[in-house]
Amino acid sequence: METFREYLPPVVLVLLVLAVGAIEPGFLAVDNLLTVTADTMTLFLMASGATFVIMMGGIDLSIQGVASMTSCIVAALLPELGFAAVPVALFAGAASGLLCGIVSTRLRIPSFIASLAISGIVTTVAYWASDTRSVLIAAGDRDSFLAWAVGDTGPLQNEILVGLVALLLLGLLLNGTPFGRYVRAIGSQERAVVASGIPVERVKILAFTLSGLMAGLAGVVMAGRLGSGSPTLANEFLLPAIACIIVGGTAITGGVGSIFRTFIGALTIAVVRIGMTFVGVSVFAQQIVFGLILVLAVAITMDRSKVTTVK
Amino acid sequence: MAVSFSRRIRSLAPVLVLLALCLVIASTNSNFLSVSNLIRLLSAAAIPLVLVMGATFVILMGSIDLSVEGVVALAAVAASMLVANDFTSLDLGFVALPAAMLLGGLLGLANGLLHVRLAIPSFMTTLGIGFACVGVATAILGGFTVRISDRTFRELTLGRLFDVPYSVWVAGLCVLVAWIIQERTRIGRWVYAIGTDEHTARQVGVPVERTRILVFALAGVFYGLGGAMSASQLGQGHALLSQGRLFTTITAVVVGGTALSGGVGSVLNSVVGVLVVIVLANGMVLMGIEPFVQQGVQGLLIILAVSLALDRSRLAVVK
Repeated sequence: METFREYLPPVVLVLLVLAVGAIEPGFLAVDNLLTVTADTMTLFLMASGATFVIMMGGIDLSIQGVASMTSCIVAALLPELGFAAVPVALFAGAASGLLCGIVSTRLRIPSFIASLAISGIVTTVAYWASDTRSVLIAAGDRDSFLAWAVGDTGPLQNEILVGLVALLLLGLLLNGTPFGRYVRAIGSQERAVVASGIPVERVKILAFTLSGLMAGLAGVVMAGRLGSGSPTLANEFLLPAIACIIVGGTAITGGVGSIFRTFIGALTIAVVRIGMTFVGVSVFAQQIVFGLILVLAVAITMDRSKVTTVK
Repeated sequence: MAVSFSRRIRSLAPVLVLLALCLVIASTNSNFLSVSNLIRLLSAAAIPLVLVMGATFVILMGSIDLSVEGVVALAAVAASMLVANDFTSLDLGFVALPAAMLLGGLLGLANGLLHVRLAIPSFMTTLGIGFACVGVATAILGGFTVRISDRTFRELTLGRLFDVPYSVWVAGLCVLVAWIIQERTRIGRWVYAIGTDEHTARQVGVPVERTRILVFALAGVFYGLGGAMSASQLGQGHALLSQGRLFTTITAVVVGGTALSGGVGSVLNSVVGVLVVIVLANGMVLMGIEPFVQQGVQGLLIILAVSLALDRSRLAVVK
C-alpha cells in the first residue's frame, strides 16, 4: 500500500503527459515541455516551503499574501537598492513566516487561523510598500537584477534552475538533516516527540519561516516574470499551491510527504490545466474541477487512524 | 469562586472592549456620536452581521468556514443577473433574493456533505468550495461587471425606515432568527453539544453528521442573503465584490468571544464582535488612517482575541 502511494503520483503524471500528448502531439515537443515546467516553477516554489508545514500536520494560508508582499517590496526597492532589493524581499518573507510560527506555537493558536491573521498583516504591508498600486519593474532593472530568475541559461529557462536548486536544497534539508527528521516525526506523533525532549516549538517555527521564505522567493520570481509587483499579484495561488502538495501525495494529517512529491504535484496540476484547455473544458468548469481534485486528493491521502473527530 | 469571577469578566470582555473603543473614539472625535455617523455604522455593520450569523454556528461546532467570500461573490453575481441588469435580459425582481439564498444554501450543503461524508477537515473543503465559487463567478462574467438597473431591488438596502436603511432591519431580523435557532431549537442545542464534546454528543444520540451538514447549509443561506444584499448595496455584481469579507467575519466571531475550539460563545457575542470591528474601522477612518491598514489591524485582533479566549486546557497539541 505504501509503495503504491509512493509511486502513484509520478505514474499519474506520466500518464497525463502521454494522454495530453495523444490529443495534441505538439505538447510532447521538448521545447514545449520545458516551457510548461518553467511556467510551473513559481507555483512549486510557493508550495515547496509550505510542504514542511503540512508535513507537521499544520497549514500555512499566508503564502499567497506573502508572495504578493515580496513582489511589491522587490518592485518598489529595485530602482533604489538594485540587487539588494532581492534579499530584503526574501528577508521580509522569512520574517512573516517566523512571525506566523511564533504566533502559532508560543500563543498556541491553530496554524490555519494564525496564518490567516498573518496574511492580513502582510497584505497591509504589501499595500503600504506599493502605495496601493501595482509597481512596474523597468526592463533594465529586470535584466540586470532579476535575470537569475527569468533569463535563460543555455537551453534552460532560469526558472527551472531555481526550481531544481530549491528542490535539491529543501529535499536535502528534509531527508538529510535532524530538522527534517523532526518535521516528519512531529507530523507522525507529536505527543511522543514532545515527550522525547526534541525542541518541537523551535522546529515548528523554523518550518513556518522556511514556508515564508519560499513564498517570498516565489513572489520575487513572479514579479520578475510579470514585470511588476502588486498587492494582489499572487491571489488565487493559495489553493493551487496547497493542491500540488496534496496531489503529490503529502497528507494533511502530517508525517508523510516529500519535496519531490510537491514537485510532481505542481507539474500534475499544470498538465491537468493544459489538458483541460486542449480538450475544450471551459475555464468555468476547470475551477470546479480543481476544487474537486483538491478535496478528493485530501480524502485519499488522509490518514484516518490519526483523526478521531473531524472538525 | 475565583474561576467563576474570571469567567464572568471573560464573557463581558467583548462588551467592555466595545464600550472602551467607543469612549476613546468619541473623546477624540466629536463626529463619532452624531446620528448620521451612528446610522453609517449600522449600515456598514448590516452585511457583516448577516454573514456572521451563519459563521457563528459553524465555529460553535469547532469547525471553520473559509468559503464565505466565494459563496457571497457567486450569490451576488447570480442575484445581479436575475434582476434587471445589463448582462442578461432577465428581470425577475425580488425572486433574486430567495434564489441567492437557495444558491448559498446549496453551496453550504456541498461544504457540509464533502466535509462529513468524506471526513475531510472543514477548513479544507470550504477552502476548495470557496475557491471554486470565486473561479466560477469570474468565469461566468469574464472580468465583466454586471450593473443593476432594478431600482426596487436596490431599495432593499438603500431604502430607509425611520431613517435607518432597510439592510439594517434585515440584519436585525437575521440576528433574531439566528438567536431563536440557537436558543429555541434542537439544532441550537446540538451545535453546542457537538462543539463541547462530539464523542459524548454522539453517545447521547445527537445526530452529529446530519447536524453538521445542516449547519453548513444554514450558514450558506446567510451568505447567500449577504451576497444579494452586497449586490443591492453596490448596484453591481462581480467576482471580487466580497474581498475582505472572510477576514471581517472570522475577526468578528472570535473578537466577540466565540472560541474556535467550539462549544463556547453565541450569536449575540458575534453581534458585539461585528460592532467592535466596524467601530474600529470607522474610528480609523475618522482619524485619517489609510483604509488598507484595517486588514493588518484585523489580523492583529484575531491573534489577540484567539490567544485570550482559547481554552488551553483542551489543547494538548496545537496543529
